[in-house]
Amino acid sequence: MKRNEKVYAVIITSLILSAFVVPYTLLTNVERWYGSFLFWTVLTVIVIGINYLLIKEWGGE
Amino acid sequence: MNSSYVWWAVAIYIIVSLIIAFLSRPGKQNNMVSYFLGDRKLGGIVSALSYSATTYSAFMLVGLAGLTYSGGVGALGFELIYLMGVSLIAFFGPRFWVVGKKYGYVTPSEMLGDRYQDKRVAIIVAITSCLFLIPYSAVQLTGVGYLLSGLTNNEITFSTGVLIATIMAILFSYIAGIRSVAWTDSLQAVFMIITSIIVVLVLINGLGGFNGFFQTLETEHPASLAVPGNGFFNIFTFIGMTLPWMFFSLSNPQVSQRLFMPSSLKNLKIMILGFMVFGLVYTLVAIFWGFSATIMFPNLDNVDMATPLILSSDLVPPILGVIVMVGIMAAAISTIDSILLTLASVFAKDVYGNLRERPSDRMQLQIGKFVIPVIAIIAYLFAEMELSIIVLLSVASSAGLIIAVPAIFGTFFWKRGTAAGVLASVGITGGIVILLEAFQWKPLGLASGVWGILLSTLIFIGVSLATKAPEEKAEEFLTTVKIALQKERKK
Repeated sequence: MKRNEKVYAVIITSLILSAFVVPYTLLTNVERWYGSFLFWTVLTVIVIGINYLLIKEWGGE
Repeated sequence: MNSSYVWWAVAIYIIVSLIIAFLSRPGKQNNMVSYFLGDRKLGGIVSALSYSATTYSAFMLVGLAGLTYSGGVGALGFELIYLMGVSLIAFFGPRFWVVGKKYGYVTPSEMLGDRYQDKRVAIIVAITSCLFLIPYSAVQLTGVGYLLSGLTNNEITFSTGVLIATIMAILFSYIAGIRSVAWTDSLQAVFMIITSIIVVLVLINGLGGFNGFFQTLETEHPASLAVPGNGFFNIFTFIGMTLPWMFFSLSNPQVSQRLFMPSSLKNLKIMILGFMVFGLVYTLVAIFWGFSATIMFPNLDNVDMATPLILSSDLVPPILGVIVMVGIMAAAISTIDSILLTLASVFAKDVYGNLRERPSDRMQLQIGKFVIPVIAIIAYLFAEMELSIIVLLSVASSAGLIIAVPAIFGTFFWKRGTAAGVLASVGITGGIVILLEAFQWKPLGLASGVWGILLSTLIFIGVSLATKAPEEKAEEFLTTVKIALQKERKK
């Protein structure tokens, strides 16, 4: 695995871990749309963005 | 809902998709790579749409909406964590792709068999796939049956619905192999997402706009906006459900086989990113759908009724309801046809191909084509019988398929992995997962999928360390991957 790839793997794994931890700790009493609903949605957008950064060079022209 | 509308909509859907299926048929598909992998020449957009249609079945708008109804926003977390897990294919995708091209693999199980230098590895992984995925397809078929009969007050019977879905799945996969599957999938994916987005917009608008919608939830159903909320998604249930799905993109051969198909790494990239965006939108749609049911029908006994009730409610114009129903049916069929095709290739290549001395490509293709309707008919019979064992195996499918994941990790990242390690981890853990599901056991409060991934990893590592690894092959394989990836990335 390239070094670069390892860094991405660590970042993505940490974000996924936070998807388990944060809603069940910090957000467990936030019964609003800007609680877990927003958190998970934004987190997914961030993960998609990171995937983009990781693979944007593939077969680049 | 008026059943003549439904018949018309189903008929138009069948005609249009059959035309697309026939148009997708350039040249002859007279070898395995051509028929099952589209000559490894699929474009990026088609790959992305087809990947989406294959992944997202009728489960989303029926099951996930129902989960949202039962447990609230936890359903969103469950599905989005799966989607974040698809990041795995940003790491594994290019590796599958280069070895597929280099060694000519048609199925993921074939790859495992070759990498670990043991035919039995390919056979056991292939059989596990069939064991869990045929029941999974059967349950998808029953979904279409219930949907059609439910929405037409039984004027279209359950059996007719199941039969229509079976025939369509056979036709889509048979006409031009993966080409007809990929193109009809793409059409269906576009149809699924557009129609369901329209319904959500109509629902949100009818329920007071975005602000009004969430205000109602916040005041009348506050527990639905947090976890564990009403207790449905306690942390153990949540982890037990989510963990096996996180590895879905590797564990399920009908999607991991897709990694062999794009024509270039650039198209693989489009496939991954396109799918992730599609997935996020479709997930949000299903969640809003479930929340709408929470607001509109707060006291349902049977959550499976949430979607049919929404579609026949006053807020949704009847014609739109019918169109969306076809969209849900398309979601189910586009999943089944891909599974059919993958299982046929797996059977022909890994079971038949490994049991024969010198199997010709031609013979394997014939076997594969013969097996497509056979598997479909088995799934049809399972669906008609509505056996509890079938439902059990289907529910167990995500937990049951996860047991091959350590072997897939080992393929690319661990030279010490051995065939004995794979055979032991898949064989033993497969049996354990089925027992846990059959008796509904949850040792230490953990679900079967969690045990599946833990035990298969431990057994794979333990047995591998105690046996001799195919060092030469591992070295050659991993060097090939490294060099090919460097070359591709420079392109």
